[in-house]
Amino acid sequence: MSGAYAQIFRALSSEISLAVVAMGVLTLDLVVGRKRDLGARRQLVGAVTLIGLALAAVPLVWQVGLTNVPLMGETLAVNPLTVIFKFVLIVLTALTVLISVDHDIGTHVGEYFAMLLFGAIGMLLLVGSEELLTIFVALELTSISLFVLTAFHKNSLRSQEAALKYFLFGAISSAFLLFGLSYIYGLTGATHLRDIGTALAGKGTNPLLAVGLLCVLVGLGFKVAMVPFHLWAPDAYEGAPTPVTAFIATGSKVASFFVLVKVLMIGFAGAAGSAYWGAFSSGWAMVLGITAAASMLLGNCAAIVQTNVKRLLAYSSIAHAGYILIGLVAATSTGATAVLFYVIVYALTNLGAFGVVAALSARAGGGDLEHFNGMAKRAPFLSLLMLVFILSLAGVPPLGGFFGKFYLFAAAVERDAQNFGLLWLVVLGILMSAVSLYYYLILLKHFYVMPAKDETRIATPGHVNMALAICAVGVIILGVFPEPIVALLKTLVIGL
Amino acid sequence: MSVPLGYYLMLGGVLFCIGLCGALTRKNAIAVLMSIEIMFNAAILNFVVFWYYLHNGALTGQMFALFAIAVAAAESAVGLALVISVYRHYRSVDVDEMKALKG
Repeated sequence: MSGAYAQIFRALSSEISLAVVAMGVLTLDLVVGRKRDLGARRQLVGAVTLIGLALAAVPLVWQVGLTNVPLMGETLAVNPLTVIFKFVLIVLTALTVLISVDHDIGTHVGEYFAMLLFGAIGMLLLVGSEELLTIFVALELTSISLFVLTAFHKNSLRSQEAALKYFLFGAISSAFLLFGLSYIYGLTGATHLRDIGTALAGKGTNPLLAVGLLCVLVGLGFKVAMVPFHLWAPDAYEGAPTPVTAFIATGSKVASFFVLVKVLMIGFAGAAGSAYWGAFSSGWAMVLGITAAASMLLGNCAAIVQTNVKRLLAYSSIAHAGYILIGLVAATSTGATAVLFYVIVYALTNLGAFGVVAALSARAGGGDLEHFNGMAKRAPFLSLLMLVFILSLAGVPPLGGFFGKFYLFAAAVERDAQNFGLLWLVVLGILMSAVSLYYYLILLKHFYVMPAKDETRIATPGHVNMALAICAVGVIILGVFPEPIVALLKTLVIGL
Repeated sequence: MSVPLGYYLMLGGVLFCIGLCGALTRKNAIAVLMSIEIMFNAAILNFVVFWYYLHNGALTGQMFALFAIAVAAAESAVGLALVISVYRHYRSVDVDEMKALKG
């Protein structure tokens, strides 16, 4: 028995240390923080949070050598892929903390950072779990933390409204998820993804299974903000404190896409169906093919008319969810690899973009496009970073976003290459990328071309600049050397 | 064992639909929350019934139901807190009146 506990401790040491740090942060703020002014308090608590995140990354080093260790009856998996994604999530959380220290988050400083850590724990568990109950609880832990974080501007009506809308949509979608899971459990008697995969192999489509799968797709589709379950995204992104928006748009997306890939590719490999043009057959690939097309169309077209930068980026992230789904529709290991690679690139890029918005909008008086006029003169360094992020989102080589999209589209074309079954999605994706260039360039026009009313320089703290520079360097490295990373991910995905 | 499994599943399905209709049509945020609870309960009922009739060798279904109840409780606690903080700004819990964020 003690051996089993030791194993659990080894697999969950990152999560456990994050939980301890979260409690410590709460106590620290209560005991020491209250006596200081808000800025110093955020710096103190933020610094401790960062140290805690660094400590939580250490156990991952021990796990590097482990290959596919099933724990607690295959409930939790430890393999190189989970190690990579847990590391990515810890880095994303740390960067969010760096951005948050500079941001006015009210008087509940300790609670803010603790909630951030709880959300991070949920995401790490989500990456590690291979069992429906664990996935459900981890997903809820993430969601509930994010609901609370969204409402952190207590005096702002928009923040409260955003949080309530996010919560209501989120709770409905988790009810869908739970309902779907109940049918899947009923049909297979199993909750482990691999057992479900074996139980469903070779059986035809069953109406109950179809309902269950559809409900699960609704639940997870909400988390990744795909059309038609995207309605919360623009409101939540706009109303939430900007560092929280960055966290929702990146950390939660990474974890949700990871779990979506895992659930569909391991648990429901046999129920894929197809989204080939003219040869649709029912299954999750067909559903995701249609939602991918809808997400790309709606996200890109709605982004054009936006005047608020966060809202614009929210619609752009809906569109990006569409691109990422193309890789899943391919339902191959190449497709899954492309999804995982793109998700990392996307997270770094969006964290950077929202970080720039967070740092500048508080000092420029607002978050609308005109507030960013002439930023290239007022804050040249951050404007340069924004240029990198936006061009990566638009998919301009040699940045990460270009190769991410390239691998996604290549995976879709490769599948059913004789009949070009998925070419329609790729063509739509490329067309919509062209549309997206329009609003991305408008955003850059405000930064670089339009004259500012007030030309005073905006000084941003060094740690924010550093965090954003790390994102930009990551985006550039992933763009210049995508090949080794993709090759690594591919071998790991095949070994899954 | 006199009531067949199918009847329970039908009850679960009907409950879920009632909850969904309520969640989509009600204007009062608290009523929406109650409807969401009904949806959760439909799923929990399914778990217990599937466990009792089909998979009663292991306790998985019961475990799932217990965890789901705890999660639903946590979720409604956060939900009610959010409703109160929205009420402080709007002096109303009508979801149709919340129009600060649009576009």
